[in-house]
Amino acid sequence: MRLLLATVLGSLMPLMAMADGPLVDTDWLSANLNNPQVRVVEVSVNPGVYEQGHIPGAVNFRWHTDLVDTIRRDLVPKEAFEKLLSEAGIDNDTRVVLYGDNNNWFAAWGAWVFDQFGHEQVSILDGGRKKWELERRPLSTVPASHRRTDYRVAQARPDLRARLSDVLAVVEGEREADLIDIRSADEFSGRVIAPAGVQELAVRAGHIPGAVNVPWHKAVNEADGTFRPAEELREIYAAVGVDGTRPIITYCRIGERSSHTWFLLKHILGYEVKNYDGSWTEYGNAVGVPINNPSGRVWTGT
Amino acid sequence: MPLLRHIIALAILATLVWLGLYLHESLGRQTSFVLIGGAAFGFVLQRSRFCFFCILREWMEEGDTRGVLGIIAALIVGTLGYLVLFGAWVPDPTAGFLPPRAHIGPVSWVVLLGGLCFGIGMSLSGSCLSAHLYRLGEGSWASLFALAGAVGGFMLGFAVWNRLWSQTLADAEATWLPSILGYAGAGALQLLVLAALGAWLLTRIRPSAADSASATNSLAGIWRRVMMHRWPAWVGGLGVGLIGTTMYLRADPLGVTAEFSRHSRDLGTALGVVPERLEGLDRLAGCIVSDTAQLIGNNGIFVLSMIAASFAAALLAHQFRVEKKPPRTLISAALGGVLLGFGSMIALGCSIGTLLSGISAMAVSGWLFALGMVAGIWISLPIRRKILG
Repeated sequence: MRLLLATVLGSLMPLMAMADGPLVDTDWLSANLNNPQVRVVEVSVNPGVYEQGHIPGAVNFRWHTDLVDTIRRDLVPKEAFEKLLSEAGIDNDTRVVLYGDNNNWFAAWGAWVFDQFGHEQVSILDGGRKKWELERRPLSTVPASHRRTDYRVAQARPDLRARLSDVLAVVEGEREADLIDIRSADEFSGRVIAPAGVQELAVRAGHIPGAVNVPWHKAVNEADGTFRPAEELREIYAAVGVDGTRPIITYCRIGERSSHTWFLLKHILGYEVKNYDGSWTEYGNAVGVPINNPSGRVWTGT
Repeated sequence: MPLLRHIIALAILATLVWLGLYLHESLGRQTSFVLIGGAAFGFVLQRSRFCFFCILREWMEEGDTRGVLGIIAALIVGTLGYLVLFGAWVPDPTAGFLPPRAHIGPVSWVVLLGGLCFGIGMSLSGSCLSAHLYRLGEGSWASLFALAGAVGGFMLGFAVWNRLWSQTLADAEATWLPSILGYAGAGALQLLVLAALGAWLLTRIRPSAADSASATNSLAGIWRRVMMHRWPAWVGGLGVGLIGTTMYLRADPLGVTAEFSRHSRDLGTALGVVPERLEGLDRLAGCIVSDTAQLIGNNGIFVLSMIAASFAAALLAHQFRVEKKPPRTLISAALGGVLLGFGSMIALGCSIGTLLSGISAMAVSGWLFALGMVAGIWISLPIRRKILG
């Protein structure tokens, strides 16, 4: 009996140990659902998916209201972020595990927001909702309720965010950085301004001069949405000349999908990288800035 | 012949089961649940003849209130079911968040007008959109004319949408009763209103011979009672309320116009009568949505499954028949269909999506639509009598 207990505990111990890495897997999360030091947060694109079944104990952050300032087109203000985390029962030393639908797009964006407010321990559930569901793990519709905390932002990290001026400095040769455009090849070349059905547009098509195109999905295994192994990722970006020797700026259309690439470059590969959330809807609409449009279809309506 | 009916019905059931299993593997459990929900809905509508127009017409013209009590029953069960879900999903209704996906539409005269047009369309075409769909399963081919008219009506609605949006809808609030009164207050108020309406209707009920007939306890007796005789409207109402709640829990609120309007919109855009950009539409919750890459979306699966189940049920009940219809019935059906489509487009749903799912969600827009719809039927019944004799 004692031997059995020891064996069981022995096999559980590694799972119960705190994860240090940027990614946690579904097994680890299953074993840590009741760990008071861990708080699971869902950040999904589609409204209602959390309510219809989420990872047991997870709280829901609505990306379009909880994490942004909808009027200023900005991150959520510091005080609102503190209130949000306090109500979710997150302390400054809590390990936050983010996950979501659509290959963790918005979970990665959430990680970028958490990082900017200086939260130390943030991980992403590798594969997110997709892998959890593929493995037929249980979901819950019971709303999570956690003891309120008093969260205080210790030190914000505004340096993780690139502004239009930072990008222009790179374009005009005043500063060195690699620009990665993670949109589709057609958006990059300027054949289309935005994917079909998208409302937010720019008046010009194309990309920021000097940017390389690595669509975000190149970084994931299509079957379960997990990130590819670090070595493969290193090669994918090295193949277009991005090897981490220079600072990097990622962008897309509105800055959300590019957080996915930002997350892996920063946390899996350890590169110095900023996310430009103004992205093409700012840059492509800006007055007096150069663009590159290989397809020759620059203006809307031409 | 009876054997053939049973074989076809069984084949439909088997196809639905196979499709459900197939969809579960290819598109996931939500889609297969939608298929089951659609089949259950079609079955319940056919068995209880849950046709909003027939029910309201019987009340207004013949003083028979039993059907309306069925609608009240559906709304009470729906309200209770939604209250349970809302309580879990939106802990504090006054915090400024609306429950996800619930059909809480703008409070505006546009919804009232939509209801009014829809009500008149019901009179002229013979029923609402959901009933046209289940009656299609009963062999009512005149419903095809109504549905074709509805496609035109949807396009008309989309064509004027941008004007309605900038003139009034952009400023209209989506009022959710619990956000003002809390769950207890809103739930109590709405259930009281429904109970009062029900009590008033009950005082006018006339006992009928069919109601007192009881099933014998034999298997054949139960089969006849369930599969052949029309269910009492309140049983249908309970079923509709329950299906509405489970559909909201597992997929989307009940509605039958989403897929229909989506294809009408695509057609209208291709024909150049519907503008490319429809302002604000994507922000509003309801049956008129534009996203989904699938050729047949979840709502399409729901509607097709509903027609199939209604067809099977009608076969078993010996209620499938194809009748000759005079041309004026068909013209009236098509014209009514235009009004059905137009009304449900500008009100973002029909008697199911806006009225049933909306009132269940305690949305003021649901009540507005109901008011317009009942008024529309009331004023147009004399016209119907004149046209159709």
